Amino acid sequence: MRKVTTRAFAVLLLAALVVAGMGVYLFRLVKDGGDWAAFYANDSVYTNGKLNRGSITDRDGVVLASAGEDGFRYADDSSVRRGCLHVVGDLDGNIGTSMLSVFRSRFINYSFLTGTTTEGGAMQLTIDAEVSAAAYDALAGMKGTVLVYNYQTGEIICMVSTPGWDPQEGVTFDVNDSAYEGAFINRAISSRFTPGSVFKLVTMAAAIETIPDLWDQTFTCNGSTIIGSQKVNCTGYHGTIGVEQGLACSCNVVFGELGRQLGGARISQYAEKYGLTSEHTLNGKIPTAAGSVPAAQGDGDAAWSAIGQYEDLINPYSFLRFIGAIANGGVAVEPTILAGKSAGSERIMEPGTAQTLSEMMSYNVSYEYGTWAYPGLDMHAKTGTAETNGGTHAWFAGFITNKPLAFVVMAERAGSGYGVASPIANTVLQKAVSVLD
Amino acid sequence: MDIVSAIFGQSAAMLAGISRYILPLAALLIVVRCIRSMLREHYEPETWAYLYLTGGQMIPLRHWECILGRAKSVDAQIDDPAVERLHTCLIRDATGLWQVYNLGKGETYVNGELVPTGGALIQDADVLSLGPVSARFVDLTEEERASLLKYRHAPGRQVRPGVTLLLLTCFQILLLLQQLVYNPDAGLGVAIAFGEVTAIQWVYFIVLRASGQTGFEPELLAFFLSSVGMSMAASKTPGDMTKYIILFAVSVGLYVFLCLWIRDLKRVKSVRLYAFIAAVGLLAVTLVLAPERNGAHSWIEIGSFTIQPSEFVKVLYIYAGAATLDRLFVNRNLIFYIGFSAACVGLLALMGDFGTALVFFVTFLVISFMRSGSFATVFLAVAGAVLGVMLVVTVKPHVVARFQTWGHVWDDIYGNGFQQVRAMSAAASGGLFGQGSGHGWLVDIYAAETDMVFAVISEELGLITALCCVASILAMAMFVVKNASSGRSSYFVIAAAATMSMMLVQVILNVYGTMDILPFTGVTFPFASVGGSSLIACWMLLAFVKGSDIRANASFAVKRPERFSGGIGVEEPPVDDGYDQTSYDGEDYPDDGYYDGDGYYDGDDGGYYDQGRRA
Repeated sequence: MRKVTTRAFAVLLLAALVVAGMGVYLFRLVKDGGDWAAFYANDSVYTNGKLNRGSITDRDGVVLASAGEDGFRYADDSSVRRGCLHVVGDLDGNIGTSMLSVFRSRFINYSFLTGTTTEGGAMQLTIDAEVSAAAYDALAGMKGTVLVYNYQTGEIICMVSTPGWDPQEGVTFDVNDSAYEGAFINRAISSRFTPGSVFKLVTMAAAIETIPDLWDQTFTCNGSTIIGSQKVNCTGYHGTIGVEQGLACSCNVVFGELGRQLGGARISQYAEKYGLTSEHTLNGKIPTAAGSVPAAQGDGDAAWSAIGQYEDLINPYSFLRFIGAIANGGVAVEPTILAGKSAGSERIMEPGTAQTLSEMMSYNVSYEYGTWAYPGLDMHAKTGTAETNGGTHAWFAGFITNKPLAFVVMAERAGSGYGVASPIANTVLQKAVSVLD
Repeated sequence: MDIVSAIFGQSAAMLAGISRYILPLAALLIVVRCIRSMLREHYEPETWAYLYLTGGQMIPLRHWECILGRAKSVDAQIDDPAVERLHTCLIRDATGLWQVYNLGKGETYVNGELVPTGGALIQDADVLSLGPVSARFVDLTEEERASLLKYRHAPGRQVRPGVTLLLLTCFQILLLLQQLVYNPDAGLGVAIAFGEVTAIQWVYFIVLRASGQTGFEPELLAFFLSSVGMSMAASKTPGDMTKYIILFAVSVGLYVFLCLWIRDLKRVKSVRLYAFIAAVGLLAVTLVLAPERNGAHSWIEIGSFTIQPSEFVKVLYIYAGAATLDRLFVNRNLIFYIGFSAACVGLLALMGDFGTALVFFVTFLVISFMRSGSFATVFLAVAGAVLGVMLVVTVKPHVVARFQTWGHVWDDIYGNGFQQVRAMSAAASGGLFGQGSGHGWLVDIYAAETDMVFAVISEELGLITALCCVASILAMAMFVVKNASSGRSSYFVIAAAATMSMMLVQVILNVYGTMDILPFTGVTFPFASVGGSSLIACWMLLAFVKGSDIRANASFAVKRPERFSGGIGVEEPPVDDGYDQTSYDGEDYPDDGYYDGDGYYDGDDGGYYDQGRRA
């Protein structure tokens, strides 16, 4: 009998398994419960597969999208809906980097304690609906992106990507239609483009720090030059000039020669140093595409790489961060899109270099672009017109000091940086300066 | 909704909302009270007789079944090289009679007469001799018996069962309220169903309380779990509750019957052979008759009822598988039992009911471990069964598929992970307090109300209540282990331990299969899963738990010692407990075999305990 009674403890072994399993379950529930609850089949948060709770507002509380009894509603204004589309996202989950995709659990407002039994979550973003709408309108049917952020706080004011569509109506277009090429992609975050002359800012920074007699050098531009057996064409006949004018005129002869002096490896090294070839993460959840600036081997390729051609590819988001560092004395404040969240900062550039670049970018405007083009704005910028198959990408990147705003405008195969991208930047920044507190 | 609105008007929804937070609290209180009541007191060991050795040493006999011998693990150790390790077995029956059986190679004498293979009676003051060692057997005196009764622990004083029952009633009212508010189809049928559970538990309580019973913890937990099960049924088929109303009454009725039946061990043993035959027969008939459903031949349809015979076989399996101590040391019995188990598991495997086969297999391991004493037997069984499982896996594609999905259900949300990902999603949605009874969606997923019921409970009633359900089963298991220490007959200790092993394995497979911690096998959660066969089987199994409860006035499945006061020589008055009880008159028990002639030993008329001597 004693043996039998003692062996009843075998039951405790099974009981221990129950307890152990419960431990595993509770651990997983705490860790992954939010993801489980966000599963599309969860009828307590989805009605016919559509999210039935939560709202998302811009920095001023303008409703960008909200779910209620009558379904999911986007903003009333068509341009706001389209301009904020790639940030907010659509209910079908077409835009993988959008708030609705990445931060779905915040809309669902799951918590371990209450599950999904409470109201949906209200989410506030740093973007401004009006500025975004202005940017969308300014792109006027072109494919491209407009990025604006506060280089001191990191708040993203505007992140527009085109082509888009009206999310209230859903995807009604043919996804194979070339007019909607890449419509599901947020170009600011997930794409990379040939930078063209905006990359000269990187080359310039490398030259400032590593070419001792830089300021004594003069260059003679006759419209083209031969570097390492490759012919480098320039956009004009700039004559004999120094680097300041070289940057302002975006002279390829000057920067081709600087590229030769620096060498492909150094250019690549500086692109890496400025975070242009690494993947960033917006608010810890949204990964960006990493650009690539491979080290060119010969003098000719190095020259083209210095000009932002060769095999250089840049992601607009990372370029915004780089511009932000120039504006902010060399410290790159990490962008954030969630209101009230700061994402930290990192010094990526010597303060002196940042100061010099900043002055040169201001000189670009006063010497070449014309301050009249940006009325009332203290503009520091650089144009870019990147040669690609089928047209040139129009770039315009820089910052203003009226409000601490850095920006990157890129219009895909849309023409020249000064002719196309610069007016868009002006329109958007005028709006931003007028509406921001 | 109409009824509630009529009474409470606009505040019905608000009431239901508040009740969502009170419900888990009630569940917690109910379970905690039962656990406290079951586990807080420690049991004083009982003494039923004494042995006085010639050297003056006194050995108390603490159980109704005691082994005497030289081994350390025996109940009364006699440290003499002439005594066998397991020499003699002493068994007391419910009427107070003691029987002596010789075990193994040694010889046992009562008053100088050799104990025959069928055992011999021993009375107060008889001399018991184990080979050369003699001892005087002394039964309890009337005074000792009285004092034993007086100091025995009785439940119900510290934690009053009536209060727990009131809490349980509140729990049921809240469930009903939520159903009426949240479940648009819930109406009179649901109200009657909950009313029935409440009424039956009160009648049960009042009748037993009136007859002096004070221990109600396992039943209260079962009523608690059944209430949760009724809520699941109401969520699933609010318009069709008749079946569950009938089944619940039948379940409790059969439970009461089985409790009364197992009061008399002799009677239990007398039909064991039929239980063996019925178990194998039921499974065989199912295999032949049942059409395939989800890859398994487990269900037989009779009219509008669908019966899963393997659930009833669980009861028969334990009924037949548990054994009294006198039979434990006979290898032939164990081999017969292994063969029986292999037949059951094999038939279930053929039926394709992998989950139930696994439940039986683990129960088999526990019973054999408790019975055998030899690890070799257990390992043999493990080897055999592992082979069997491999066989099942190779022949049944749906089982293989479930194993393949295991651990990555989220990669297969449209295929084999379909049910689990929904279960996890719904369970997480419930939070700690739940969406409300009848307010979930998971129950509409196929088989959720049975195989994934833990997730449905989590969704509708919340994690706290779901954990309370698991804790209820755990508490019963702890209770059974605790009871074992002062168990009287090994039959009840083994039966109760096997029952709780079975339920624990079901909990493990149900909960962790649903949550993708184990492969999904489709096993029910005891009491709480919707389903007639399962519910009836669980309630009947509960009788074995009650049978292990030897606290004073705690269990009507256990005869009260004070009601058979007679010792040896005193005529036992007939016990009025509903069946024909033959009192001892000295002739009911033939010398050559105590239980002979009732089919129990199937024709074995010699060498009963002494294979050694037969050899």
